This record gives sequence, C-alpha cells and structure tokens, in this order.
Amino acid sequence: MSLPPDEQQPGLVLDARLHLLDRQILDVDGVPVCTVDDLEVHGIDGSDRPDGSQQAVVTSLLSGAVLATRILGGRPPASRWHRIRWTHVVDVGTTVKLGVHGSELDVTWTERWVRDHVISRIPGGSHDPG
Amino acid sequence: MKKVLGLALGILTAIGGFLDIGDLVTNAVVGSRFGLSLAWVVVVGVVGICLFAQMSGRVAAVSGRATFEIIRERLGPRAAGANLSASFLINLLTLTAEVGGIALALQLASSVEPRLWIPVAALALWLVVWRTKFSIMENVTGLVGLTLVVFAVAVFVLGPDWGTLADQAFHPSVPANEGHAVYWYYAIALFGAAMTPYEVFFFSSGAVEEKWKVKDLTQSRANVLVGFPLGGILSVAIAACAAIVFLPKGIEVSSLSQIVLPVALAGGKLALAVVIVGIVAATFGAALETSLSSGYTLAQFMGWSWGKFRRPARAARFHLTMIICLLVAVGVLMTSVDPIKITEFSVVFSAIALPLTYLPILVVANDPEYMGTYVNGRATNAFALVYLVIIVVASVAAIPLMIVTGAGS
Repeated sequence: MSLPPDEQQPGLVLDARLHLLDRQILDVDGVPVCTVDDLEVHGIDGSDRPDGSQQAVVTSLLSGAVLATRILGGRPPASRWHRIRWTHVVDVGTTVKLGVHGSELDVTWTERWVRDHVISRIPGGSHDPG
Repeated sequence: MKKVLGLALGILTAIGGFLDIGDLVTNAVVGSRFGLSLAWVVVVGVVGICLFAQMSGRVAAVSGRATFEIIRERLGPRAAGANLSASFLINLLTLTAEVGGIALALQLASSVEPRLWIPVAALALWLVVWRTKFSIMENVTGLVGLTLVVFAVAVFVLGPDWGTLADQAFHPSVPANEGHAVYWYYAIALFGAAMTPYEVFFFSSGAVEEKWKVKDLTQSRANVLVGFPLGGILSVAIAACAAIVFLPKGIEVSSLSQIVLPVALAGGKLALAVVIVGIVAATFGAALETSLSSGYTLAQFMGWSWGKFRRPARAARFHLTMIICLLVAVGVLMTSVDPIKITEFSVVFSAIALPLTYLPILVVANDPEYMGTYVNGRATNAFALVYLVIIVVASVAAIPLMIVTGAGS
C-alpha cells in the first residue's frame, strides 16, 4: 500500500506552462540549443496520453515541427518529434539548462546542416570576428 | 574617450530609430508642411523610447535575456509569432529602404546611378555583419553618424525668426491648408518612428553582445539618456531646417537632395560634404541595426544560437537569416522602387508590433525571478502604463488614418 501524496510537494514547484513552455534551452556551455516548443508527458502508469486521472511526468522537451502545431493546433506524427530527454535537464530557472553539448542532440540538425553546407563554405565563416 | 565610446550603442540605436532614411525624409516633409507644430510628438516619443529601452537594457544586463526571448516566453508562440511576422517585415522594409538610402546618398556625392551603388552597399553591410567586431561596428557608425549635428548647426547659421519657430513648437496648431487627419497621420508616423520596435531588439541584444552585467546598469542608463534625446534633437533640427527654408515658400520636400539643401545654404560645400558623410553613416548604421535585428528576432524566437561575438559557424542560422534578408533587399531595390516610399508601409506593421513588444518588456521588468531586486519602481510603472495606452491608441489609429489620408498625401 502506498502513502497518499503530500499536500505540499517538497522542493521547487514548477508550472509546466509558466516555467517550461517557450523557455530558452541552453547547453552545458551556455550555448542556445532551441526553445521549449512543447512537452512530452507520460502517465506514471506508462500511458502516452494521460487524461488527468493519474499522475503524469514530463519525459521529454520537444522542439521543431511541434512549433507549427502549437500555433495552428493538431499533433505532428511521432516520427517528426525531436526530443530532448528530461534526464539531460540539470536546472530550470529563467532558462532550461542541459548537462550535455547541444551539438550532440538531434534537435540541432538544422544548425549543423546550415553550418556545413552554407556558412563554413564562405571564407571567414570559421574565424572569430576580427 | 572610453566613456564616450561606451555610449556608442545608445547613439547607434537612436540613429537607426530617429535618423534612418525614412525618418530623414519624414522629418523634412513635416518641417516643410507643418513647421515645428509636430515637435511635441518627438518629445513624447523620446520619453517613451527612453523608458522602454532602459527597461529592456536593464532586463538584458540583469538576466542576460534579450527582448525577443522574453516576448516569446511571455506571449506564447501565437501572439509572439504575430509580433515576429510584423517586426520582421518592418525590419526587412526598413533594411531595404536603408540600402537604397545609402545608394541615394552616395549618388549625391558621386552622381553615379543608385542601382550601381546598391550591390556595393549591400556587400559592405554584409562584410561588416560577417567579420567586424560589434564594438568596432557601433563605435565607427555611431561616431561618424554624429556629423549629422551639422543640421543643428545649420539652424543657427540660417538665422531664423526664433519667435515664429517657438510659437509653432509651443502653441502647436494645424496649418490652415492642411487637414486634421493628415496632421495626426504624421503625428503617428513620427511617434512610431521614435518607438520603432527594432530599437529595443537591437539595444537589448547589443547589451548581451557587449556582455553587460548588473555593474553596467549606469552605463545602460547613460546610453539611453544620451542616445535617444540626441536622436530626437537632430530629428527636430531637420524639421526646423525645412521649416525655415521651405515652409515660407510653400515648397514640399520629396527628395534627399532637398533635405540637404538648407545645410548647403547655411554652410556651403563643406557643410554639404559633412552632411552627406553623416547621411551615409546614418543610413549605413540603420541598415546594420535592421539587418542584425532581423537575425536577432528570428533567432531569439526560435531559440537558435545568435550573436556577433560568436564566429559565424557557431551561429549559422542567424547569419544565414541576415544573408537572405540582404539578398531580398537588393532584389527589391533592383526593381527601381523608391526606397523612401517603402518605409511608409512600416507604419502599418508597427500597429501590430508596438503593443506586443512593449507589454512583455514591462511584465518581465516587474518579475523578481528575472530581475531580483532590480524590478521596476512605481514611478517607472506608472509612466509605462500611460505609454502603453498611448501606444495602443496610436497603433489602433494608424491604419485607418493611413487609408483616409492616402499615406499623408
């Protein structure tokens, strides 16, 4: 038998809408990665569409195509979700800080693509501004 | 000298807001048609932009967050997206006009067809954005742009009837041959130019580029309190020059060569050379401000890596955005469109962008999570609320007035 949940949760109480959605995500070096465009939430019983009757946990931060569905409504196909696992998050303040390098994450593929195909090919693109 | 250079960000921001090519022309048109009877609008605008630019600079220095990150976070993707679309279009229209403005100013100096100068101007802009350090960029354009002070000197040299000018400025009335709607259309155009949103985007992002911290708050305040009033004084000086030379003769200003005519009358060839240098610097500065702002707004909305302090390969999408904007600007200008006409349309987009920009700044400047003990005082909040009402009224009235007056014609 499990104990009933505490009335007053210990620790920092975060409102998912207020403190997570649309916040800037920074990587371990403080480099911007993306903005929290949406959240993936699972029920603690493992269901991927919790209906509010059970406790739920945030499992991933989402970014990319989900921005369009946040604005227009709907739900993108799961194959187009770019997830940042919640386990990578080390701090939530005015920004969400990760413990990994942004360049290792799938969500930054457009940055890498533009860098490799356009910006690095222009002379001076890989040097500090002088 | 270091203290003076420390004010370059405020001066460059203000030049881009008050003395870009569209405003140079608008100020001269207003002077030639209404004398100084709209000077009070510039005062109202200067106070407003000082208030909100100072807030955005303080938020950036204390929390390290630039303005569009805050807009996205507080308004959510829909309202922030609407603001982004409007602000981005204002940036792009202004950038296009400025590149054309550089070409027109260089044409005055060289008599070479502007369309030959346009690609040269755009390439020079891109090279500065691509390779130059932020501090060098703001110092050079800010200081050279100061040569526009020659407009203020010209007012004194022309030896006007000070009583008439003071009467126009302190007892404003609509001239008999102009309609009330036109008067208020220009009032909103001048107010919108003073409060144009890319100023706070650029100023707050510049504060992040310069790595301002809490200890730099005095510098931020000094930047705001020197830069914007200076921009305001120069824009009134341009109107005064036009009011002295053109208003009594009933000549309406329509081109850049007419704007510099009072200066040439006052100071001859030398003054003309100085003013042309000033106009090239001011339009170049405004073009840098708007091209960087287009990168800043999109990158901050999307959460991309941005900033001139990073090498371009580390802020790839930010730099690609600016390259595309410059290419679009050149493409539009090559159709021989009149660059000065382009900025008139940005009034329309200001209607959406102004309230959606300044409300989130005010909200976050009051949020202790971001600001700690540096939240707004009561007086600042009271002023800011009054200004939000003015901004909403101006933005609601902008489009109807533009349609009724045929954009002030």
